Amino acid sequence: MSEGAVEIKNLVKTYVDDRGRPTFTAVKNISLHIEDGEFMVLVGPSGCGKSTTLRMVAGLEKISSGTISIGGRVVNEMEPKDRGIAMVFQNYALYPHMTLYNNMAFGLQLAKKSKDFISETVGRTSKALGLDHMLERKPHALSGGQRQRVALGRAIVRSPKVFLFDEPLSNLDAKMRVQMRSEISKLHAQLGSTMIYVTHDQVEAMTMGDRICVMRDGNIMQVADPLTLYRQPDNLFVAGFIGSPPMNLIKGKVQKRDGGLFFVETAEKNGLTIPLQGRLESLAGKYVDKDIVFGVRPEHLSDQVKDSGHIPVVSTVEISEPMGSESLVYLKSGTGNMIARIHGEHLFHLGEQVTVQINLDKVSLFDAATENVIR
Amino acid sequence: MTASQKLLVRKTMAHAFMICFLVLILVPFVMVVSASFRQGNFAPSRLIPDKVSLDHWKYVFGIPYQEVVNPATGETRLIKPSTPPLFWFWNSIKVSFIASAGIIFLSGSAAYAFARLRFRFKSITLRGLLILQMFPMVLSLVAFYVILDFAGQYFRWIGLNTHSGLIMVYLGGISNYIWMIKGYFETIPPSMEESARIDGASQFQTLTRILIPISLPIFAVVFILSFISYMSEYPVASVVLQSGDNWTLAVGANSFLYEQEKLWGRFAALAVLSGVPITVVFLMCQRFVIGGLTSGGVKE
Repeated sequence: MSEGAVEIKNLVKTYVDDRGRPTFTAVKNISLHIEDGEFMVLVGPSGCGKSTTLRMVAGLEKISSGTISIGGRVVNEMEPKDRGIAMVFQNYALYPHMTLYNNMAFGLQLAKKSKDFISETVGRTSKALGLDHMLERKPHALSGGQRQRVALGRAIVRSPKVFLFDEPLSNLDAKMRVQMRSEISKLHAQLGSTMIYVTHDQVEAMTMGDRICVMRDGNIMQVADPLTLYRQPDNLFVAGFIGSPPMNLIKGKVQKRDGGLFFVETAEKNGLTIPLQGRLESLAGKYVDKDIVFGVRPEHLSDQVKDSGHIPVVSTVEISEPMGSESLVYLKSGTGNMIARIHGEHLFHLGEQVTVQINLDKVSLFDAATENVIR
Repeated sequence: MTASQKLLVRKTMAHAFMICFLVLILVPFVMVVSASFRQGNFAPSRLIPDKVSLDHWKYVFGIPYQEVVNPATGETRLIKPSTPPLFWFWNSIKVSFIASAGIIFLSGSAAYAFARLRFRFKSITLRGLLILQMFPMVLSLVAFYVILDFAGQYFRWIGLNTHSGLIMVYLGGISNYIWMIKGYFETIPPSMEESARIDGASQFQTLTRILIPISLPIFAVVFILSFISYMSEYPVASVVLQSGDNWTLAVGANSFLYEQEKLWGRFAALAVLSGVPITVVFLMCQRFVIGGLTSGGVKE
């Protein structure tokens, strides 16, 4: 196995109180393989266990059961410094009483590296990060972005096999975040090290990750590359979590009418009725008169008449958000809203009747009971 | 009244109030200083002494001087203290300094454990300390006496009438300092220490190279507070220390106040002198008591 690969097997983390009684299980038996040199993003809402998982990889958190191997060696009982990892924290966690130089050199000094080696390494790294002219400053004299760059530099000088990022950008302002995002991506391309990146921001996850691991309540919901995750969500949670605005998820039943299958929205009035044809028909076959969830991305609703495979649906405009090149149109459905992302420069008026075409090829159907996609 | 007049009245009243307050604070201090320079051992009556003399200061520094015994005949006698009060002064500094240093060490390490480690009975112990500190040390005076008396039979250096015994008793009063330092430690984000751990620092290195340098302000404050309190501590010292050459400043100063004759002059000189080391320690520690030492390390 190559040396930067991380193998997580049946990992469990149960917190215990002072008397050793279990209080809370943050990570519930997850297994995940991260390739050498891969950029893996762990994403999920707060409390989903993503940070805990990362901290167990780092060695900051004891493992309740299961194993973590880095480069083929089981590291369960290994000290953080021996694991070949470096970590960047959300709050930077710089040493406030040390200069930037010492902040970056601290790990190397403790490792008893030679003075020349340290100054060479720190010099090179700080230059690459654009920090070389402020090495004598202390952290409080820096801006947020610079501080996070120092934290990044401190990680780089250790030349780790695996970089761990714990929401490193959530404390930065929007502009800085975009900039640092591309810097970290560039860094990954340059160094080719394995990176594990924890975030709650699905945009960060989609833009940075080679693969994304979506977590909820201590379980892995799906691991896939960004596009697969977007196009073929395994379950309702992933469908709703990835994408902004999220996938339209409409609850309803499969019904047989006139020999064909239809999706009928569960609503008191004005429920949508959508014919299920082709691929969807065979998928829905087993779910006649059962509850399913009909999922379609906003961009797969269009206002233009298309060829076959598109089904027209007539609806009323509730809210329209013109954004220039496209508009987000909130259409009334039986129980709520259906968002359509309509390309082109349009103005939609409230209460206007529009006919949108649903691209049935791109629709996902979910089993309402198990919340899993119907395949 | 115009707005500027109103402002003037307000300012005048505020200043008047502050001046009254200053007078309230300064008058006793000036009286003590003046009493130390007044001839004769009387309770201070006037702010400015009518007859200035250095007798009391000479006495305190152990310099022999002639005292007028009978003003009518001009008869004098030589006054020389059997134990120079400077000796007590030195005892006080020694005891306070060692006790304060010990307190920093003990309460610092205890506070680290309470702030960072997880162990059984932690919250009960903490609450116990809180309750314990509500009883003044004086209440256990009898116990201290018996314990030191007993211990002294086996280890002479820790028994009654020794400075090490007194320091041992003083070291017991750390519970509120533990709470103070623990509170400070808890404002330091754990990620800083975790980061040091990843950088390869052992727990001890994390403590000495990260946590302690960041916590210098609170250690300075604790040192000042405990130094001041032990410089002026009387009840315990008066019970533990029996022989005159072992006395601390507070006990020694009190010895000037006999039932029949209260030697206010000497007492005042010694009192002024006792302020000197406190001031020196304060000035020394002050440069560590700076705000913003932790700023910049993390994003709050």
